[in-house]
Amino acid sequence: MTLRVRALQVVSIAAMLAAWETAARAGWVDPLFVPAPSAVVRALAKIGGQALAGLADTLGKTAVAYVLSVVLGVAAGLFVGSMRLLREVLNPFVIALYGIPKILVLPWIVLVLGFGAAPAIFYGTIHGLFPILVLVMGAVRDVDRTLVTVARSYGATTWQLYWKVLLPAIVPSVLAGMRLGVVFCLLGVLVVEMFAGVRGMGYVMSAFANGFQAPELFAATALVSAASIAIVLALDHLNEKLSHWRG
Amino acid sequence: MTVLVRLALLAAVLALWEVAGRAANPLMAVPPSAVLPALRELLLLRSYPDLPASLLLTLREIALAYGLAVAAGLACGFALGMNRLVGRVYGPMLAALYAVPAVVWYPSLMLFFGLDAASKIAFGFLLGFFPVTLAVLAGIRQVNPQLVTVARAYGAGPVRVFASVMVPAMLFTLIGGLRTGLALSVIGVIVGEILGSKRGMGALINHAYGLLRTADYVALVLVTLVLIVGSDALASLVERRAKRWTD
Repeated sequence: MTLRVRALQVVSIAAMLAAWETAARAGWVDPLFVPAPSAVVRALAKIGGQALAGLADTLGKTAVAYVLSVVLGVAAGLFVGSMRLLREVLNPFVIALYGIPKILVLPWIVLVLGFGAAPAIFYGTIHGLFPILVLVMGAVRDVDRTLVTVARSYGATTWQLYWKVLLPAIVPSVLAGMRLGVVFCLLGVLVVEMFAGVRGMGYVMSAFANGFQAPELFAATALVSAASIAIVLALDHLNEKLSHWRG
Repeated sequence: MTVLVRLALLAAVLALWEVAGRAANPLMAVPPSAVLPALRELLLLRSYPDLPASLLLTLREIALAYGLAVAAGLACGFALGMNRLVGRVYGPMLAALYAVPAVVWYPSLMLFFGLDAASKIAFGFLLGFFPVTLAVLAGIRQVNPQLVTVARAYGAGPVRVFASVMVPAMLFTLIGGLRTGLALSVIGVIVGEILGSKRGMGALINHAYGLLRTADYVALVLVTLVLIVGSDALASLVERRAKRWTD
């Protein structure tokens, strides 16, 4: 079954590419807008260096934003989630901030932080932060009270309570948040690069679109998509490894 | 008690914004006391006379994008969910695409559909399509197969099984997906408008930001927020109705 599924997946993709190539060569679609896959591959070779530099730039900013989102999200989630009053007061605000489209404040962020890496990192961080924060807050709330009571009665300090009881208990939620967060961070960074970038893949793709360089644009899009899928798969793999290790 | 603390917090944030806004460079930040007059000018159609037309255009784009997303998402979800092999072949491919930050497709859509409404509708469609499809898939998996078997045994035809057994059993998941889809379609249209458009709310926001009319910018953002929150409130109303109906 698995083999058959894999084979069918490969055949479907091949068939789609073949149909696309035929349609482009036969002139059924305008190559100005929909270039043939072969043209996209040639374009990929041509823009390779520039695109890889752009991708490295984007991924670097994403990495910084991601580390900030995870550290801030987990720390704030632990803190807010473990204090009942604070959690109940802040919860609707956090949910609202998570839900509203952050794009509305993007012009203001660019206005204040200017062009360059800072607005991209900031915007990527606020995108990645909220899903992690929401998940961690919920997880801390749902931690078994007995664990806390037992630790307390055995004389655990507050630090030990957070570090040895709460944090290990919420690891699955942190991992789930980390998996969600990385795509959000990359999204945020790409949006800023498209809106007001001077470097990075978002800027590169916008420039290709504005220049009607469809083959180059498709190649760049494929490259970013592949990178994103690879990152998510790697995180999934890591997740699985960790859950084996946790038992 | 918590409500009071929440209100106090909100008041504190507003007060802080007022103080900081007065101290800051007026091009960068404006206090709430400056936003209110700008909001009045906006609503009286003095600062932006084309506000109603822009709102209407954005709403029309959202309605079209969401309508298409629901139709295509339902069709695609049921096509993938009803046949086991098809689902196993194309389900993971769909999930992989979902792991890509959607904004990577936007430059291609802009190239393809131009700067007018069509590219925003296409992007809103794309964002709304995935949650609807995935909700249908998840919903179908939730249906108890025994119910279907029993209905069949009592002589129900495929249409009857679908309408009387499957849809009620999966309705709640489905409605949740439809609500997420609406929120994402709204975000898609607005992101598209801000990343590049000549008309619509996003264009007005960009115009105000580009001319450093920061008070007008904040007022426009507030009006857009009302639109977004309103659409979500409507969806949540429908969701609650449906929940009551299934219970």
